[in-house]
Amino acid sequence: MNPIAEPADGLFRLSLKEALFIGFCAVFAVLARVMLRLHLHVSGHAMLVTAFFLLLARGSVRYRLGASFAGLLAGSASIFLGFAKNGPFMLVKYLAVAVVIDMAGLFFPRLFRNYFWCALVGGCAGATKFFTTYAINFLAGMDREVNILNSLLEAGGAIAFGMLGGLLVPVVLRRLKAYGVIS
Amino acid sequence: MRQVNLTPAPPQGAASSGDVARVGLRMLLALTLSCLAFVARTVPFLLVLTAIDLVLLWWLRSGQLSLRRELKAFGWQTLVILVLYLIRFQDVTGLWAGFKISWQLFLALLPSMVFVRTTSQVRIVQALNKVMPCRTAFVLSTCLKFAPNLLAEIKSIYEGQVLRGARILPRDLTKPWNWLDFIHCVVVPAVVQGMALAGNIAVAARARDFGVRPRRTCWPGA
Repeated sequence: MNPIAEPADGLFRLSLKEALFIGFCAVFAVLARVMLRLHLHVSGHAMLVTAFFLLLARGSVRYRLGASFAGLLAGSASIFLGFAKNGPFMLVKYLAVAVVIDMAGLFFPRLFRNYFWCALVGGCAGATKFFTTYAINFLAGMDREVNILNSLLEAGGAIAFGMLGGLLVPVVLRRLKAYGVIS
Repeated sequence: MRQVNLTPAPPQGAASSGDVARVGLRMLLALTLSCLAFVARTVPFLLVLTAIDLVLLWWLRSGQLSLRRELKAFGWQTLVILVLYLIRFQDVTGLWAGFKISWQLFLALLPSMVFVRTTSQVRIVQALNKVMPCRTAFVLSTCLKFAPNLLAEIKSIYEGQVLRGARILPRDLTKPWNWLDFIHCVVVPAVVQGMALAGNIAVAARARDFGVRPRRTCWPGA
């Protein structure tokens, strides 16, 4: 037996290799977000990469909390690298998106190969921006109507870009499966 | 197969427990100031918090460039909020309330931004080891450390594909029908490379008895 071989991974156990791959997805989600922020000023466009990488992280491994783990890492990375526009709330933002993806993956394990379902889950993940934006503004004491308007403005773009990010996932996963990288 | 070396941490990695405690203290201070900004509803309170943040900026020696970036973000955020308040109240008096909200949001975000820009990653990761599971902290620090390597790999993949004639130059990517080429030529190989790198690091870490002890997972350790 190979002394440095890893124990088998499973639905509830994450191997180190998979954890590191998810970590790379998380770091790229943060880096791509930063790059997009430099070039575009469209509300919610960062959801494109967030939804794509979190869906990819969950779709590439069997671990049921893959997206949440990626969200936790991405949130921590963005906070501690200083890329977080919203400081500690960045963690909540990533985790909210990740929880939606994990929940969807729990009920429809095969959704990551389907364009429609991926787009739908990406859109739902993007919709979490409404709640996170509303919560932050509510804590700051913003007027309710202005808050709803502002949150809808933010969430509208995030839903559209989340759907777009979701649409890219099946293409990548199919190619990875064809190459035998994932099972 | 691409070889991956787990190079030892630079000399600054050897942090004393005092260093880690100081980073933890800074982190706690930043979080406390952020939380205080949310409960600040009056102008004097906001002024006091602004003064504390300015002292914090001076104490942490945050560069002028950093502050300029934050002020730019503040300006953009204020503009959006003021427009929304103007639409809602259709009165100039609403503008002051909008400005106060924007000021409050800015004060909530500034301390953590200053903290992360003035504290070294190594120290933060060592402090993270105290509050995060060791395995998660290891994964996070390793991914951050190897991200530049992977970025360099992706850059060479991109250049190779451009030389092969793939339509993935910035001007090509303005046309959405070329995005699929970008996915097939760059994203998929990059993900495969990421998987391979993760596998190599995992093998290297396990060869160094990673996970044998429950606490100590990084060298030189804290």
